[in-house]
Amino acid sequence: MFSIDQYAYSNRLKNIHPGEKVAFALVTLLIALVAPRPLIPAIIIALMAGATIGIAGIPARFYLQLFLVPFSFLVAGVAMIALTITSQPQASLKGVTLLGWTLGFTPAGMHLAGKIFLKSLGAAACLYFLSLTTPIVDILTVLRQLRVPALLVDLISLTYRFIFVLLATVNDIYTAQASRLGYASLRTSYHSLGQLAANLFIKTYRRSQELFTALTARGYHEELQVLEVAYPFSWPFLCLAAIFDLVLVILMLLT
Amino acid sequence: MFRRTTWLTLYLLLAMALLAGPAFAMHIAEGFLPFNWAAFWFVVVLPFWFWGLRSIQQTVKSNPGLKMLLGLAGAYAFVLSALKIPSVTGSCSHPTGVGLGAILFGPAAMSILGGIVLLFQALLLAHGGLSTLGANTFSMAVVGPFVAYGLYRLVRRLNGSMAVAVFLAATLGDLMTYVTTSLQLALAFPAQPGGVLASMLKFMGIFAVTQLPLAISEGILTVIVFNLLATYNKNELQELSILD
Repeated sequence: MFSIDQYAYSNRLKNIHPGEKVAFALVTLLIALVAPRPLIPAIIIALMAGATIGIAGIPARFYLQLFLVPFSFLVAGVAMIALTITSQPQASLKGVTLLGWTLGFTPAGMHLAGKIFLKSLGAAACLYFLSLTTPIVDILTVLRQLRVPALLVDLISLTYRFIFVLLATVNDIYTAQASRLGYASLRTSYHSLGQLAANLFIKTYRRSQELFTALTARGYHEELQVLEVAYPFSWPFLCLAAIFDLVLVILMLLT
Repeated sequence: MFRRTTWLTLYLLLAMALLAGPAFAMHIAEGFLPFNWAAFWFVVVLPFWFWGLRSIQQTVKSNPGLKMLLGLAGAYAFVLSALKIPSVTGSCSHPTGVGLGAILFGPAAMSILGGIVLLFQALLLAHGGLSTLGANTFSMAVVGPFVAYGLYRLVRRLNGSMAVAVFLAATLGDLMTYVTTSLQLALAFPAQPGGVLASMLKFMGIFAVTQLPLAISEGILTVIVFNLLATYNKNELQELSILD
């Protein structure tokens, strides 16, 4: 149902140790955030795209579409940062004046907006590398190894499992409602959607009780015990990732 | 000539911003906040996560089945946020579920559930991000639920009707979420002349146009959901009050 989730299980980097992928993505993300010049995020975008498309084998078309998701927020956010509204005339301000207030752009504001735009795309490239190569189940293994409280890990894994169950239920209810003209007008849409949400809640509630009964019957006590897949460390990946990040840090310090 | 191009650029940017607004506009995108601010919001949100986990731990001890319910509630919130509600203005938008969740599960559990939902939205849907998880959790899973829950309790105590309490909780919980997001953006990017306040007005201006109709839509929807639950599922609602 989610393409990202599908690729996470079927890409060519799936069998790399998840700890290595998480560390690589997060360290690179950190570098993208602290880098003072736009050059570093640009390099990160290029190399992360190369790793995700070239090595992991994610279709380029899908990868590019993913960048459109934050695009709307970025355009709106960056436009607001670049936009200057003031009542005092400034030499560098170019724009239109209405009733003594000037609406426009300064070179400094445009520069800052461009930098943030690029930085954000660089950080998104790191996030996409992680989410497209690492299944959530593997990320949960890493969380357990990092000693995140068991209760939290259990809640995350329950949420993950039941997202798909509940989505299937929502699709069934929605199809049934739509085929009976439940979404024909604004008024009926609200009514149908309200019924859907209320029904789904009760179904969720019942399901959680069934789940608890089933687990108790199988000896559940306070913690969900799951078998974890053991991944061997991949030295080539680790070395490449370390060299890449090291080069970025040196480049950042030099420029 | 120059004036015309500037007008055109301004118009295009505004049109794009308005069109771009509705879908998940409340999540700050990955990497948008500078490192210091991203870290700051994580530090702010940490005590709430700690408190939420402690409170869940205590209720789970006396009622172990509640853990399953909360896990499924996370999935429920995620699925709800993927639905589309027809907005009063004609466009479509996604509900946040902030008000509904806060009333059903209380603000303590919401700080954890909301954080989990935001994590999955970042990983599975590419909405929001890991570095901005702290900031987004603070606005959507801390401020929103607290406002919603507080208002709900206040109106009920003043003997206001259920519908009024739920509507105000859901609508204002939504609105406070976007006010917080605007504040977070304004603090990170103060306007050159004018500072944080001017910057906040800019961000609120853009959110107000897109989020005000959405907040009202969500208020109406939450009232409908609550009415149905109160009519047909009284027992479940009563059982849930153990969470408080």
